[in-house]
Amino acid sequence: MAHIDRLTEKVVRGLASRTSRRSLFGLLGGLLAGAAGLPLLPVAKGAEPVNPSDPISGKTPPLPTGNPQDPGDQRSCDYWRYCAVDGSLCTCYGGTVNSCPPGAEMSPITWIGTCRNPADKRNYIISYNDCCGSVPWGRCNCQNNNGDRPVVRPQSSNEVTWCFGTESQSYTCTVAIILGVAIDQSKK
Amino acid sequence: MLAAAVVCAATAAAPLVPAGVADARRAWQNWTLNCQGCHRIDGSGDAQTAPSLAGVVAQFLLVPGGREYLGRVPGVATSPLSDADLAEVMNWMLWRFDAAHLPSGFEPYTAHEMHALRAAPLRLEANQRRTELLDTLQRSSTP
Repeated sequence: MAHIDRLTEKVVRGLASRTSRRSLFGLLGGLLAGAAGLPLLPVAKGAEPVNPSDPISGKTPPLPTGNPQDPGDQRSCDYWRYCAVDGSLCTCYGGTVNSCPPGAEMSPITWIGTCRNPADKRNYIISYNDCCGSVPWGRCNCQNNNGDRPVVRPQSSNEVTWCFGTESQSYTCTVAIILGVAIDQSKK
Repeated sequence: MLAAAVVCAATAAAPLVPAGVADARRAWQNWTLNCQGCHRIDGSGDAQTAPSLAGVVAQFLLVPGGREYLGRVPGVATSPLSDADLAEVMNWMLWRFDAAHLPSGFEPYTAHEMHALRAAPLRLEANQRRTELLDTLQRSSTP
């Protein structure tokens, strides 16, 4: 123990003989000035989801449309446009129902089906575009299969990852874009 | 007056839908639900996914065997559409994406013809057949 005391005293005395109190103030001033500049440094906010999942519950807050003609929660698998989504919802990654989240690219090759809008009871043609990029999928899983066909008919199967024609083939999430109102072909 | 003139000009410029399309809206919907996902909204396609239709597809009608090829490609022959709906989509698609190359005496596809063509679908050989037909077209158009 006495050995440690002697060693500490030697180091502190040596330090005191080599430095002044002014140098301490200089060091502290430099640290304060540097800390003020830290928030100005560039931050890759685009890589972070704007609406991340709640880390405790694993759920996301709802995202109601606010439009009675397009009713529902766009972060819920029950939202009418998602009737044939098989994957993750882009609204849970900082994207929208029509656009990919930051860091993901929309595939030009799509799966297209129809869903019934509960507000006007009409069927709408919906394009399910996969968003592809480095962000891993898994948030807001949604497994709806209206009009889905087995993968032996790949052009009609929503099990297939449609990341074709994009730089990345890694699936992130799916958007649901309205292409138009469907005509009722059962009447012909 | 100006608005009326613009409407008249637009009406005059709009090409007519060819024979064989009884309901253009139905044809558009069948195209959208069954073809557009891979060929893309403007028919542009690409070599890695689904071949381009825009500015290309009606040229197959100009070479021997091309008309039959279009009715036998995998996406057409294995479509879930009825023969009649399929014929209508074919006629609509040729007009929509390549009206400039439609031959003046074009005879529209019929349900009967589509029934016979889709009974012999092309599979992996479709790409090779496409290349052969385009080569023939190239040679015939080279002076």
